[in-house]
Amino acid sequence: MSGRVLVVDDEVEMQRALRAGLQYHDFDVRAVGSGEEAVREAAAWRPDVILLDLGLPGMDGFATLRTLRPATRAAVIVVSVMPGEKDKVRALDAGADDYVVKPFGTEELVARIRAVLRRQADVTAGEPVVRTGDLEIDLARRLISVDGRPVHLTPTEYELLRYLALHAGKPVSHTTLLRQVWGEYAVGDKYNTRYVVAQIRKKLGDDPANPRYIVNEPGVGYRLEA
Amino acid sequence: MTRRAAPYVVAVGGAAVITLVIELFASYVSATSLSALFLLLVLWLGARWGRGAAVTGSVAAFLLYDFFFVPPVGTFSVRGPAEFLELAVLLAVALVTSQLAASQRLAQATAEALARDSRALYDLATSMLKANDVSPALALVCESALKLPAVRRFAVVADGGQLAGSQLTADEMKQAGWSHEHAQPIGVAVKDGSVVTMKTRGSTSGLAYLPVLSGVVVMALNPDRSDAAELRMLAAHIGLADLLLDRRRAAVETERARGLEASDRLKAAILSSMSHELKSPIAALRAGLTALTSPQAGLEPEQRELLGDLDRQATRLDRMVGDLLALSRLEAGVGMETEPHSFAEVVGASVREMRSQLEGHQVSVRIPDDLPPVEVDDTQLGRVVGNLLENAAEWASPDGGIEVGASVIDGRVEAWVENDGPAIAPSDLDQVFDTFWSRRATGTGLGLAIARRVIEAHGGTIRAENRRRGPRFTFTLPLAHVAARA
Repeated sequence: MSGRVLVVDDEVEMQRALRAGLQYHDFDVRAVGSGEEAVREAAAWRPDVILLDLGLPGMDGFATLRTLRPATRAAVIVVSVMPGEKDKVRALDAGADDYVVKPFGTEELVARIRAVLRRQADVTAGEPVVRTGDLEIDLARRLISVDGRPVHLTPTEYELLRYLALHAGKPVSHTTLLRQVWGEYAVGDKYNTRYVVAQIRKKLGDDPANPRYIVNEPGVGYRLEA
Repeated sequence: MTRRAAPYVVAVGGAAVITLVIELFASYVSATSLSALFLLLVLWLGARWGRGAAVTGSVAAFLLYDFFFVPPVGTFSVRGPAEFLELAVLLAVALVTSQLAASQRLAQATAEALARDSRALYDLATSMLKANDVSPALALVCESALKLPAVRRFAVVADGGQLAGSQLTADEMKQAGWSHEHAQPIGVAVKDGSVVTMKTRGSTSGLAYLPVLSGVVVMALNPDRSDAAELRMLAAHIGLADLLLDRRRAAVETERARGLEASDRLKAAILSSMSHELKSPIAALRAGLTALTSPQAGLEPEQRELLGDLDRQATRLDRMVGDLLALSRLEAGVGMETEPHSFAEVVGASVREMRSQLEGHQVSVRIPDDLPPVEVDDTQLGRVVGNLLENAAEWASPDGGIEVGASVIDGRVEAWVENDGPAIAPSDLDQVFDTFWSRRATGTGLGLAIARRVIEAHGGTIRAENRRRGPRFTFTLPLAHVAARA
């Protein structure tokens, strides 16, 4: 069994299709149709991943996410037909680990689930060195190197890269980055994060038009390749 | 009449009384020393009544003194320059004191008038501010202006309608409209805080028009009662009217913006619910079809192939619905949020997203490192680049390259997507951006139409042309106004 997945979707067809598709990929799957049931099931069954549709009747997706987040260690992947980037940002800032836009194929979904599970395992292992390609970020010793060659970052640049590294593979919104790097009351605009990311890329030798390490998530923020 | 004569009577009488006093005390004190009393009289007359009384007093004093005390006593004969000097001193004192007193009185009168005017303007401004609405405040200003003796008529006009003040005729309204449209004052101007009247040709009514930022002040003046203070007060009234008209315009604009916002919200809500309704069935379709195509489902290869075909059709349907919704969203004019963005970053994200479609084609990006940021909605621009890349991939010859580039030309960014491959028929170069125009059956025919809408919504242009290698799509983007960073 590669993990427990709780599907939260009010459409029976969707529940049935996802249950089948994920079971074929060796996941243990349960499906519920409302936020209230999701909260109950998350506590009782302790899933590893929760697939949460935002368009739920009754307690809506965001409310469910806010209730679930402090109560469960499961990774939450938000699922939505709304293509709006604002919803993605809202979901990420509310504690979602990733988002998938409907419609999607089973393969794509499985890849996302595996990615969040892998990240969860890394976090539990407490690995102090994050590697992506030939970029190495040693969080314990605050050392950065590309292909063994050390890279010197300013404190702000380091903080931003460190936060992305701690959430490697997960998209991080501009607002979260601003808060994490500049502080809770930072009055900054997104251009600040863009500018700092541009500087980091320059020092890492990363091309913004073809990035190897820091990937731009349009309308949302940035993600460090896992 | 008697009132007017009073100062002179007092002047002559006063001089006579002092003469009597000198006569009485002449035996004890010398008459010459006592003559200083005349000076006191003249000083007092000058301060109290001004020049006329003081001069009368001086002359009377001189004559009386000469007659009674200067030998030969009993005659008006004047001997020697010493006596003329006395007269001259008395007259000089009379003139200087009266002058001083007069300017003092004038200053006081001016101060009182200013205080009165300020008070009136203050009262007007306070009641103006208390009025929640602009129209009653404007009515107050007009009412107050009409109380000025210099003003015969006073009215405020904006947006082709009269807001307050004296009733205007249709012709006068037309004239006011012309004056505002051309920012051309007729008959008056405000200069250095006062109103200046100007000679006008053809204005027979004597009506003057003064355009301000958000309206026109129309007035008729009384030429014979327009002193400087009056004209200053009038200018202050015009200033207040100007302020109110500005406030009114701001209020009107806010109201309009609120209405637009509400309709935008409604449109966005409708589009969002439409997208939910159209996409949910496709989502269930694709989830089910792709579940069955996994090998673990245990279906025969032919069956999986069939399901794969169905999923590809569902994907196509999804893209069409997505394109149609995107187009409706653009036509409804909702959801554009521009910010400074790095064009290279937007291209990077699009290339990543299109990875599978771009397979087999070498994509080269030629964007200078120092390309300044562009002011765009990054998701929308990402869609443009994605659509152009998709189009290029579709039309590139097998293994043909695709190039994305950008440079700054004439204060904006010109970007392009080009592919190796067959040229577009010259007659089609303009039509490729039309809705539902497609070079082949598989496309939605919306990709390039969406690209054009997005670029135009950013105030740019897009065009197709044939280059040596193949077709090139060029579009322009606005530069962002971002302060340079060291």
